[in-house]
Amino acid sequence: MRELLGHVDRLLRGGYTRREDLLEGRVTVASRTLATAGLVLGAVYGLFMGVFAAMRTEHPSWPQLLATMVKVPLLFLLTLVVTFPSLYVFSALSNSRLRGPDTLRLLLAAVTVNLALLASFGPVTGFFTLSTDSYPFLVILNVAFFAISGFAGLTFLRRALTTLFEAPQVDEPERDAPPPPLAADLFATSPRESPLPPMPTPTPSRSPSNVALSFAPPPDDPGRRVFRVWIVTYCVVGAQMAWILRPFIGTPGLEFSFFRPRGSNFLEALWHTLQRLFN
Amino acid sequence: MDSLLRARGPYAAGSDVVPWARLALIVLAGGFVYGAAMGLFGVRGLQALYSAAKVPVLLGAATIVCLPNFYVVNTLLGLRDDFGAACRAIFAAQATMAVTLAAFAPITLLSYASSDDYDFAILFNGLAFAVGTGAAQFTMQRHYRELIARNPRHRIGRVAWGVLYVFVAIQLAWVLRPFIGSLRAPTQFFRKDAWSNAYVVVFEMLGEFVSGR
Repeated sequence: MRELLGHVDRLLRGGYTRREDLLEGRVTVASRTLATAGLVLGAVYGLFMGVFAAMRTEHPSWPQLLATMVKVPLLFLLTLVVTFPSLYVFSALSNSRLRGPDTLRLLLAAVTVNLALLASFGPVTGFFTLSTDSYPFLVILNVAFFAISGFAGLTFLRRALTTLFEAPQVDEPERDAPPPPLAADLFATSPRESPLPPMPTPTPSRSPSNVALSFAPPPDDPGRRVFRVWIVTYCVVGAQMAWILRPFIGTPGLEFSFFRPRGSNFLEALWHTLQRLFN
Repeated sequence: MDSLLRARGPYAAGSDVVPWARLALIVLAGGFVYGAAMGLFGVRGLQALYSAAKVPVLLGAATIVCLPNFYVVNTLLGLRDDFGAACRAIFAAQATMAVTLAAFAPITLLSYASSDDYDFAILFNGLAFAVGTGAAQFTMQRHYRELIARNPRHRIGRVAWGVLYVFVAIQLAWVLRPFIGSLRAPTQFFRKDAWSNAYVVVFEMLGEFVSGR
């Protein structure tokens, strides 16, 4: 477990998505490690999320708690399984440096970042679960935490894709420079903010026109384009997957069931929950 | 305490060593003193004791609940090397708030001696907490100024912390109420509906207001 947490820590610090690795199309962490970390972190958040069902006065349900511990990591991993083929195709069509396994590792890394942040919200969810009996409030709170964590995961992914598609083939970065890194880089909002060593400026003596062209941002920015397609695909599938896997919290007054009948969709249900909260 | 308020010595800005035990002791002592004064409305010893126990919990528990998220957010922002210094800023701010509140205890008692109006007592204590929060922010800014100069992304970390902390602290204060204790109600540690939700109450009030009920 300690080793696993060490991997998560390194991932959060950007140790597995260093610029020089991405430039070579490599993500240097095993898929199995990321999947295991995702399972554990998701189960941790699921534990806090499922407490509501176990503690409620009407039909307290321990099976719901266990089910939620299983379902939260499954939600992310199944979404990835469903979307990975199309994501890979879009990436390859845009001439990404990543091959299939590395694309999978990068997506798993983003999911793990997402789940790590979600798990860190666990104590807050637990606290509100213990101190409130309002089901609509908990639904909204959980949706908000999932959205914030999802945003962090996608930001991580966007920065990695930007590096992959925009960074030119350059000479080795300075050896003395601090290790590039960290997720800091992945969350930097502008090149000036990034702790990475600045990109070497091409000199006219070195293949003047080509180098200059490759340094200029591509006009249609494939990294951004791929990311947009990915984000839409991933979010739509993820939201519907969450709807299919429900219940996660467990509606008060209803008996435990692992799945609910199909019908409706995520957005419609969220709208109804908001209406219930204000009425 | 003097060093804490002046951000000098063991509490100086810039270091990444967190004097956990001392800061926790200050939060405990300051919170206890102010809580006791706060609960003395109507001269009820038991309510004073309850409030003395609850104020340090209010100051400390919200921090503990939000800390895991603060850790992950700082790591994601690439600020892990400064995490000790960021924690130092947060805990020093909490301790400053406790000291400021404790300093307000005599004034609170004077206000109770001047008026037995419950609404006035609520208002006055609200003001004391607002001043305490201002003092805490002042200390936090002292510590964060250096951190932000080192890396501007500390601003995001600070805002993320503030938003989550306030969100949790409001609910915690709601759960732990009453702190003052209405003279019309019996002395009690928790209200009957303690385990309800402050935000839901606000939403319901808003819903009633909008629908004109």
